[in-house]
Amino acid sequence: MSKQMIISVMSKDRPGIIAEITGAIYALKGDLADLNQSILCGYLTMILIASFEEDITREDVLAEISHIQSGEKFDVLIKEMDIPIEIAHIPPPTDTYVLTAQGRNRSGLVHSISQFCYSHGINILDLATTLSEDQYTMVLQLDMRNIASMDTVIVDLEIFSRDSSLKLVLQHNDIFRVTNEITLH
Amino acid sequence: MLRSDQILSTVEMIQKENLDVRTVTMGINLLDCRTGDVAGTCDRIEERIKALAGNFVATCNDISRKLGIPVVNKRIAVTPIAFVGAGFDRFGFIDLAICLDRAAAAVGVDILGGFSAQVEKGMTATDREYIASLPEALARTEKVCASINIATSQKGINMDALAIVGRTIKELAEKTRDQGGFGAAKFVVFCNQPGDNPFMAGAIHGLEEADAVLNIGVSGPGVIARALERMIGHHQGKEPLRLDEIAEEIKQTTFRVTRCGELIGRQVSKALGIEFGVVDLSLAPTPTIGDSVGEIFKILGVDAVGAPGSTAILAMLNDAVKKGGIFASKTVGGLSGAFIPVMEDAVLAEAVGEGSLCLEKLESMTCVCSVGLDMIAIPGSVDADTISAIIADEMALGMVNHKTTAARIIPVPGKEAGDHVSFGGLFGASPIMEIRNAGKSSRFMAWGGRIPAPIHSFKN
Repeated sequence: MSKQMIISVMSKDRPGIIAEITGAIYALKGDLADLNQSILCGYLTMILIASFEEDITREDVLAEISHIQSGEKFDVLIKEMDIPIEIAHIPPPTDTYVLTAQGRNRSGLVHSISQFCYSHGINILDLATTLSEDQYTMVLQLDMRNIASMDTVIVDLEIFSRDSSLKLVLQHNDIFRVTNEITLH
Repeated sequence: MLRSDQILSTVEMIQKENLDVRTVTMGINLLDCRTGDVAGTCDRIEERIKALAGNFVATCNDISRKLGIPVVNKRIAVTPIAFVGAGFDRFGFIDLAICLDRAAAAVGVDILGGFSAQVEKGMTATDREYIASLPEALARTEKVCASINIATSQKGINMDALAIVGRTIKELAEKTRDQGGFGAAKFVVFCNQPGDNPFMAGAIHGLEEADAVLNIGVSGPGVIARALERMIGHHQGKEPLRLDEIAEEIKQTTFRVTRCGELIGRQVSKALGIEFGVVDLSLAPTPTIGDSVGEIFKILGVDAVGAPGSTAILAMLNDAVKKGGIFASKTVGGLSGAFIPVMEDAVLAEAVGEGSLCLEKLESMTCVCSVGLDMIAIPGSVDADTISAIIADEMALGMVNHKTTAARIIPVPGKEAGDHVSFGGLFGASPIMEIRNAGKSSRFMAWGGRIPAPIHSFKN
């Protein structure tokens, strides 16, 4: 087992997708290392990391998935990794913050907030959005270890909030951990 | 990552529901600051406070900013001053109070507690001098708060001291007449006073404590009130809620609130290199609208605070708060429960004005909550013996029930029942409460001596 591949799959959601995709990997004697999946508006997307024997190619994996008998076609992207991926769980950095943004739905909201993060050296670790009636809510987990100054970010965030009419709240990730987890680290 | 709804509910709690860390209180031991004279002792006390608390306020502010949770008050509690100033006369104690006030201002804290004595069994000559210094000491200082432990479940009630304290409270109010008797709001009488309570005016650094310790006071009646409103709102049109479900909601909300205090406490403690003591999760109201314990009574079903059912509601609230807090924190201490300080809670003050909440009902409510008859404005004409006797009743509740009780009663000079007094800020405002049967307890107070400890205190 020395070859790692990242496999990305998208399909209309239905029961059995994970069983079929992992079945294809198993059939090629692949070893699944990690998997993450999400469903959005009836569409499933998943990303997997798997290890295969040296002689298995990305075309072999693609062919195996293509042979799955199903009503829906899978959109698949596979990349062979040159450098092995570190699978070990990496805890979030100590400078992880959570930003919530709420406002009336309109186009460009996610773009504007992600652009704000990018321009301040903030990396988005996770992003979830929900639309309820006309209210759009974004919850972003941010790695802020590379920012120039917290004070600048706070001031700029206020200006951004005013200009974009978004209600923004930035708070340290620890607050959410201690109020929602039983174990106190 | 946590679920979005968990994150949003925490954001609501902090942004809309007045969640804050009410106080970070640094306890400082002053016992070894005693020198041969008052001036030398004052110098060493100031040096000690500045050395330990010089960066205290700035550190709390930094961590508050980093975590996005307000730390409202930064305070200091010191060793009960009667121990520190053993052998000094009343003038010496006044100098000590002024020195503590100066030190508190120098390090930027808003209040300093511990101008205190413990006289539950007997008074030394020093204790008498300390008590005699109280009116002048509190009238001449701004930030200093005083307290006296006059009873315990183990030792009984010191009625000699209590008789003097009634007169002291009157004198204290009179000396601060131009401020509505505000001096009396800075003095609290205790039974079973804890040595690690971070809330004022009764915070001290107990003799059992280390050289320095950080205790955290977390509040949040507004958070509990909004959580209950939300829960009741979601159940409308569905199966009716039961009280045990409501108690569970209070417990879970308390858990979350306490955790925020624990987080701040640990981080401030680490940054300052000072041992972390306890989290005291108490529902301590402020005069701010929406930050009221009285409001919770109304949400839970009594149309007037003080109506039948109020004591039962408070018992449930106090218990649920304790259970949530104890599970959330490694070390819970202080008072940990619900406070009902009348002047500091707009809804309770309103109930006094409407006549639904009287002294006797408050007294019965203090049997099941954390503190006692707190911040009650009474007519300035009420005699000292009646004040002492009111406090004696409250002390008896604490003594027999093995709990902390306290009394902070303000006889407002020149005002009668139904008039109004306002101290502003966190100390709040209230109508003056009627005292029934005033002037009828002097023969009782004249006995002096001690009320012995109850039989169930002898457990050795």
